[in-house]
Amino acid sequence: MDYWWDILNLVLIFSVFAISLNLLVGYTGQVSIAHAAFGAIGGYTAAYLSAQIGLPFWPALVAGALGAGFAGVLMSLPALRLSPEYLVLLTIAVSSIVLAVVGAVPELGGAYGMIASKPANLSPLPGGDLIFPHQWVMPLLAFAAFTYLVCYRMGESAFGRVLRAIRDDETAARALGSNVFAFKVVVFGITSAFAGLAGVLLFYYNQIASTSVYGLDVSLKIFAMTIFGGLGNFTGSILGAAVVQLLQPMLERIVRIDPGQAFLIQLVVYGLGLTVLVRVRPQGLLPEGFSLLRALRPAKTRLASQPSAKPISSTVAAKPAPCAQTAGAAAQSSVILEVRDLSKRFGGIAACRELNLDLQRGKIAALVGPNGAGKTTVFNLLTGALRADGGSIRLQGENVRGLAPDMIARKGMVRSFQNVRVFARMTALENVMLGIRELSTDWWCWPNGTRGGENLADLLLLPHMTGRVERHTHERAMEWLRLVGLANVAQTPAGALSFGQQKLVSFARLLGTDADLLLLDEPASGIDSKWVEQILELVAHMRELGKTICIVEHSIHVVERLADTVFFMELGHITAQGTIGELTSDPRLAEVYFGTV
Amino acid sequence: MSLEQVAQLTVAGVINGSFYALVGAGFGLILGVTGRFHYAFALVFTLSAYVTSVLETPAGLPMPAAIVGGLLAAIVLGIAIERFVYRPLARASGAVSLLTIFISSLGLTIAGINLITLAWTAFSRSIELVPLRPINVGAISFASVEAVLVAASWLLILALSGLLNFSDLGRSIRAARGNPQLARILGLDPDSIYLSVFALGSFLCGAAGILDGARFAVQPSMGIRPVMFAFVVAFLGGTRNGPIVVGLAGLFVGLVESLSGLFVSPQWSSLVVFSVLFIYLVLHPVDFRALRASILPAASSPRG
Repeated sequence: MDYWWDILNLVLIFSVFAISLNLLVGYTGQVSIAHAAFGAIGGYTAAYLSAQIGLPFWPALVAGALGAGFAGVLMSLPALRLSPEYLVLLTIAVSSIVLAVVGAVPELGGAYGMIASKPANLSPLPGGDLIFPHQWVMPLLAFAAFTYLVCYRMGESAFGRVLRAIRDDETAARALGSNVFAFKVVVFGITSAFAGLAGVLLFYYNQIASTSVYGLDVSLKIFAMTIFGGLGNFTGSILGAAVVQLLQPMLERIVRIDPGQAFLIQLVVYGLGLTVLVRVRPQGLLPEGFSLLRALRPAKTRLASQPSAKPISSTVAAKPAPCAQTAGAAAQSSVILEVRDLSKRFGGIAACRELNLDLQRGKIAALVGPNGAGKTTVFNLLTGALRADGGSIRLQGENVRGLAPDMIARKGMVRSFQNVRVFARMTALENVMLGIRELSTDWWCWPNGTRGGENLADLLLLPHMTGRVERHTHERAMEWLRLVGLANVAQTPAGALSFGQQKLVSFARLLGTDADLLLLDEPASGIDSKWVEQILELVAHMRELGKTICIVEHSIHVVERLADTVFFMELGHITAQGTIGELTSDPRLAEVYFGTV
Repeated sequence: MSLEQVAQLTVAGVINGSFYALVGAGFGLILGVTGRFHYAFALVFTLSAYVTSVLETPAGLPMPAAIVGGLLAAIVLGIAIERFVYRPLARASGAVSLLTIFISSLGLTIAGINLITLAWTAFSRSIELVPLRPINVGAISFASVEAVLVAASWLLILALSGLLNFSDLGRSIRAARGNPQLARILGLDPDSIYLSVFALGSFLCGAAGILDGARFAVQPSMGIRPVMFAFVVAFLGGTRNGPIVVGLAGLFVGLVESLSGLFVSPQWSSLVVFSVLFIYLVLHPVDFRALRASILPAASSPRG
């Protein structure tokens, strides 16, 4: 019987590894094959401390988890800007470094590893020394459940929504005001801490910490469990751990073979099993978002979305829509954005030189000019996606030049993208919810400066309050979707919508941020003409809501319809400014822009 | 540190570096063009060495025939993996294909290496490529087979570079590496290009396996460490660069690994290599977006 208890225990320990790795890989899109190496940091820390200063189980466990978490934070710093392929390489390097160090330091037992001096004892909890596998089952169940709950809470919440946005499109997530780097650091730290916890458990369970227990092949095994179970759901990770871990013993019991070769044959079947399983279920055993909790109570969870596909024209008059910030507008200056002497060079090319630009509150301005004039570059400079070489950008009187894109977004200037950049694997509703947040300036409201689920402290300690914020966010997001006429597709993944619908989703997303100033990059280009009218109406409606809007647009028809002021840009410089009528009557500009008229 | 010591370590570094250059060029070609994380490179490597060794001793074939047999086995296995495992899997798994292909490649390697052990036992075998004798130049000594390894590695890398630059097939491959979408628009069939790339990469890999088997020994796990280094070298050299640049990166890694022996004890040498890699990743300003676009064409193309 102990044989099966042993296997169950290993499944539980590896569940801790696989679940936490899923939060990193499946939710955040950060591929790591160094997970067992963080287990090594935890396991060796606990082994060393218990051998040297006789630290008991619980403090050793905490020390191991903290040590691994700290190492994870360190690794996240170079990892922040790496693409998945390079991240794999980085994690291989980290894994090799960790294993080489612990394998070469004599104090850590060198190649032989460290043997535990005494069995695990969970005192003050009852149960005494844990010696036999069956004694371990309950504690390990509790650890696996704890991991599941924490990771589930982080993954299936506003916090996890930001993580999945980072996975789908980092740039867009930043542009909507999420502090992407801080989220990544937190997730690397927490998942590594869980790996460290699992590593400590593995040390106490095996009573040895050695390089082979935490080798690269073990990291690959954990990775296989996670992929197998399905990215983006934790129940799958447990299943994945069980399948991979059970493959060998099942074979041992079922297939009677020559014991001398049994081990080899098992490995052959295990390897082929990996290959066949990913082929049969490339998306994993369970689909993304599947969870036991939700499966058990399917009716209650999702608020039913009323299928209302009202066109904008009927909603425009009916509803002033949530827009709180216009209250003090009269008292504020009429210039919302003041740009002075903005410059940017790429090598020898001046993409933007001494550019001056004033945007009037509540108006629509258009930035026009020939291709290559630097219009999109101006948007990139204003929103912090590119760093300006000189000049000043004052938003509502405050200098925002040099701030990170997410900071600028939270200060009230957001942008859309030419190629929309919706979060393809998230629903239209989730796309919009990402823009909506309850800002707070309290120091502990980190990383996004918000209350509610994006804030770890609220998320883990104030579930009631977090739930209230989440419901509120959900309602507001539905309102915005209704406004753009997409309430009926609220639960459809944004990647499955048409390009025109994706544009509308991206507008709803911008409106959701409550920002005062919206920069729209070619709002009407590349879409079916039936959507153009709707989008123009929507942009005009945004102005009625009190927003200030600046568009970059090629279609003179669109500019004519919308713009109060037109800025004409050539070679990184604004050369003329006025109404569209004034500009088109200037023969030189007409020549530059339209060729001959 | 004496001058002879430095010279001896440099020679050792050049020998190891040439080997890394060869595996890196093969792996890098596959990674750069197809974007597949071909971990089973290790299996191709091992199989080629085994087939050569078995054809030589029990079967009694002359050495050149045994080598041809080993290289053919490598090419057939590489093509078969692409055609029957990776290609269908890439179609089925879409956006996550990078990960699923990696897992299935890992599974194939575990299965294949244990099948090899079942077939030919875990005892190590040998390949006698050239008569074993030491060569002494002044105070420096190295084995004859090591001289063959260095010469063969660079000849193969130069040959690959020539093929990529001066043949129609090579031009198609470079087009596919530079801009997969454009290559497709121009009417190049990516499927057949991928197969050619796997054939070429597996050829280099097989040659490296035979050379490594001749230098050390033929045993089941011989491919695991080389695939790690191939991985590192291919990325250091840049997946969009030609085989010569990748080869120089391999040479660099070999020299770093070897010359670190002047300062630290040999057991730390792999730590030094991976630390250099780590520092490189921290500091090097790679154009990741372009690379991503080349490796994940499906994921990065705008939807419409």
